[in-house]
Parts: sequence; structure tokens; C-alpha cells
Amino acid sequence: MKKGLMLAAATLGMVFCWLMVMGCGESGQPFAGTYRSVEPYAGKGHIELELKENGEATWKLAQEGQAIRFKWRAEGGQLWFYTKEGGIILATPSDGGKKLNVDMTGQWHPSCPRSNCITFERVKAGSF
Amino acid sequence: MTQSDSQVEKLKLEQVGREVCIPAGVQVVRQGEIAQKFYVVLSGKLKVYRETPDGIRTDLTILGPGAYFGEVALVTGTPRTASVEAVEESTLLEITEEEFDQVLDQNPKLARQIISSLAKWLVEGDKRLEKETVHQVKLRQISLFDYVLILGLSLVLALVFNLYNDNQIPLIFHVGNLSGVQEVPLKQAEELYKNKQAIFVDARKSNFYEQEHIKGALNLPVVFFDLQFPMFQFMLEQEKVPKDEPLLVYGGTYSRRFDLELARLLKEKDYNVMVLQGDYSAWKRAFPLERHKAQELSAMPLDFGGYLEWLPVGIFVLILIPPVWRSPYLSGACRLILGIIFVLFALSKIMRPAVFALNVVDYDMMPSWGVNLWSLFLPWAEMMAGLFLILGIRTRAAATVIGGMNIIFIVGLVHVIMQGLPITCGCVGEAGEPVTWWKVLKNTGMLVMSLQILLYDRLFTLDRGGFIWRERKI
Repeated sequence: MKKGLMLAAATLGMVFCWLMVMGCGESGQPFAGTYRSVEPYAGKGHIELELKENGEATWKLAQEGQAIRFKWRAEGGQLWFYTKEGGIILATPSDGGKKLNVDMTGQWHPSCPRSNCITFERVKAGSF
Repeated sequence: MTQSDSQVEKLKLEQVGREVCIPAGVQVVRQGEIAQKFYVVLSGKLKVYRETPDGIRTDLTILGPGAYFGEVALVTGTPRTASVEAVEESTLLEITEEEFDQVLDQNPKLARQIISSLAKWLVEGDKRLEKETVHQVKLRQISLFDYVLILGLSLVLALVFNLYNDNQIPLIFHVGNLSGVQEVPLKQAEELYKNKQAIFVDARKSNFYEQEHIKGALNLPVVFFDLQFPMFQFMLEQEKVPKDEPLLVYGGTYSRRFDLELARLLKEKDYNVMVLQGDYSAWKRAFPLERHKAQELSAMPLDFGGYLEWLPVGIFVLILIPPVWRSPYLSGACRLILGIIFVLFALSKIMRPAVFALNVVDYDMMPSWGVNLWSLFLPWAEMMAGLFLILGIRTRAAATVIGGMNIIFIVGLVHVIMQGLPITCGCVGEAGEPVTWWKVLKNTGMLVMSLQILLYDRLFTLDRGGFIWRERKI
């Protein structure tokens, strides 16, 4: 029974160590910064996208007062934006991280579909 | 074979036979060979063991000075019943079959002693057999405690982890305040549609909308409400829709997750909102539809997890070879493969349960109250069962848990394929991969693997019968 308990404890230890490692994930630091949409969106001006190093992000339309908050991370060379409802928006960096192509369909595509793609340019790199 | 006995020394064995020196590690007799000699141990140490054709070895005893072996096969005329190997350098008195018969004829005392030893050996054999039978019966038992341990631990960990998780979700999804949102029966909705008295809004994800929607309806996926609402507003402005024009939301799933939630969010934005009442899929039969050919979903490369998932398909080849199919080594391999797959499955879902909850909703099989609970519990059950398999704890119970999960997955996948739902699997990774018959085959392979473990696993396990290593000592 003692051996069983030790194994169960070891199992739990492994799980939490792995989760801690997983929680760290790929560093998003190279992509942190402030981005601005190349085109105006929905007739309400440009979108300002701010990606913070701590995994927080804000999305703000120029003519709307309120910023939308969500979480983000980098993995597999892509940026993953998580809405609070559980939706995922994928963004693909290009030009060494100076540009972001955001696929608004909520699905993964090998390249960003033209009709649902918003392109952003980095206006400020950085740490927050 | 028998244990040492002082009386052997008293017998005049020195008059027959010849002394042989056996170096450590050398086999003196081999199980199954024809017997021609009898041996008395003069010095050193030897071990006696049996081995099955599939390589399972059972250590029977250790022999020291004064002990003798090889008499069983000579007396019964059968092949050697066990193998004997020198543990350290040993000296033996080697007696031929003729000399052995001669000694027995001349020494009734020795003959009696050998009969007595054989009888003792038979009684001890019966006891060993009983002990092993009890052990095997215990191994085959899976108690309720095993399931309480795996599933209970999963549930507790899921709840505790959710409590401290940054991406926490409520245990039961609740739409919130729906007062002010009018539920419209199908007949009334048809009238509104015919008279163009309402704007129809599809609340589902864009891939569902693209596949099939009410003709003229707009799409506002509730999961991207915050990000896409400005564009929705823009579309209404372009269409010159007055702000007080009623919006009729439809397109819920079995869980009614999307339509009710979107109705509430639009109401908060001061729109005049109605929601379609009753059967969530009745609109498909009542309204003119716009259909588009289902687009094949793109699959994000899954790297290691994706390759690993193909391994279970190989089991269909292995089950055609009976000795391999029954091998405990195959059980070990199955445990490792299934364990790693399920731990990887779990890790891709545990951190963000809201993402997995949407996958569960997509399958269109779970009622609203169960979606979040299932999304929290399942990844932890995958994790626990996978780790139990890898570490060898309660492996047969863990295999049945994984087998049960695979049956649920197969039913879900077949449902999606038959219904033609445009969704990703949500099995490995957050982006998921398309649901195909290959995916069903992979899951069937995993089900067969769990069955193999249930029936034949007996290597490095901590089960009800105690701990079992490869070499079983009785």
C-alpha cells in the first residue's frame, strides 16, 4: 500500500511539473508590442492591437472607447489569440515579426484567407 | 529435485560417479532435454528454474552442498522438468542413469528418501499452484476502488485545478439574464421572415453558417462576438437597418449554447432581440436555405502527437499473430503508447478548458449543463488513466477507462461524419484535425490496444495481486 501511495504521489508530482513547464510555453517576447491595422476596420478607423509579454492583449478600435481584452501566446511560429468564450484566432507573423496576418475565420488555414484577413503592422516593439 | 539432506552424505555415493567442476553461469541441466544423469552438490550454489515458451521465468529454489537434483526425470522417465544453473563455481558428483539405478537397488534408504522428497515436492508444488492461482484470480479482479481511484482523483484534480486556473470556466454554463429576449415559435418566425419584419442572425461558427443557413441571414459567431460585432454593426448600417428593427437569432446546437448567448449579448447592446423557440434544428425544415459545398477543413500539422497516433493502427497487423497478440511485452508496448498518447491529448486541453468546451458543443451531443463539467473532467481522466498505464498502477482498470473513452470518441466521430458536421476533432492540439474515417480507425486501434492490456498485461505492474516484475519468484 505504501508503494502504491508513493507511486500515486510521484504521478501527481509529474503531472504538476509538466503543467508548470507547459504553462511557460514558447516565449512570446519577440512578438510583444503594439500593432496597428493597415486598413480601417468596419468603417470605425484602425484597430490598435497590443500584445503584452505577460500573455495579456487588448484590441481597440479607434472610434470605440472600450478595449477588448483577451489572452495570447506564441506556438509553432504562430500567435494564438483566445477569446473569453473559448474561440481561437490565429495570427501569422511575417517580415521578422513586423507584420501580423490575423485570420478572422477562427479556423486554421495554411495562408490567411483574403476576405477574412486583417493585416497589422508593428508600431512599437516592446516590453510592458 | 530436492533440498539438501544430511543423510545423502551418509550414503556411499563416493563409490560411484565422478566429480565435475561447473563455473558460475553455466547451465547443468536444461528443461525439456532427455535425462541421463543425476547430480549431488558437493560445493557451491545452483539455482533451479522453469521457463515458459514465451519466456516467462519462474525461480523455484537454490541448491547448496548436500542437495541433489536430476532424480525426477530419471525416476519418471520424462524430459527434464526444470533447468539448473550454477550461481557460483560449484563442484558436483555426476552419476549416470545406470549407476543411479544401481545405487537405488543397493540403497533402499536412499530410495525411500527420494520417494519422500518427491512426495514433499509434489505437496509443495500443490501449495505453489494454489498460491499462484490466488494471485492470478486477484490480478483478474478489477474492483470498484480502482475506478474510484482513477475517476475520483481525476474529478478532484479537475475541480481544484479549475479553481486556480487563470482560464477558469464555470462548472455549469449559464446564459445569464435573458429577460427582455422574446422566444418566438417557429410559425411566428416564418411569418416574420415572409413579411421581412426581422433580420435573421445565425449565431453559429462561420463554417457551420457557410455550410447551411437561412437564406438572407447574417452571421455573427458568438465565440468572436467582441471582435466581430463592429463588423456586424457595419453590415447593418450598410443595409440601412434601423436600430429598433427586430433581430431574430437562431442556430443553437443541442446545448443551446450559441443562440441564447448571442441573444443576451445583442440585448445588452440595446437591440430588439428575439430568439427562435423550441427544436433547435427545426429551422432547417421550415425556411428556405442557402447551402454551400462543404469545404474541406485544413489540418494544422500535429508534429509528434500526430505521428504517434498512427501507431495504434499497427495493432491490427499484430493481432493476426497469436503468440505476439498474447505477449506481455506487447501489453507493455501498448501501455506505453496509449499512455503517452492520452497524456498528450490531456495536456493540449487542460490549460484552456473553454476551448475544449467549444469542441464538445460542436459535437452536438451534450446538453448545456454537461458541457463544462465534461470539458473539465475528461482531460484529467485522460491524464490519470494515461499516467497509470505508463507507471503500471492498476493498469487493467486504467485500460478499461481508456477503452470506455475510446468507445465514446468513436461514437462521437461517427456521429460527426454521418451528420456531415464541419468541425475539427479537438482530440490533439487546440486547432484540431479534420474528422475522417482514418480518425475512427486510429481510435479503434486504441480500443483494441486497451483490450490487449486488459487481457494479457503482467509486466511491471502494481495491481491487486501486488507488484509484478518480469521474473516471478514463487
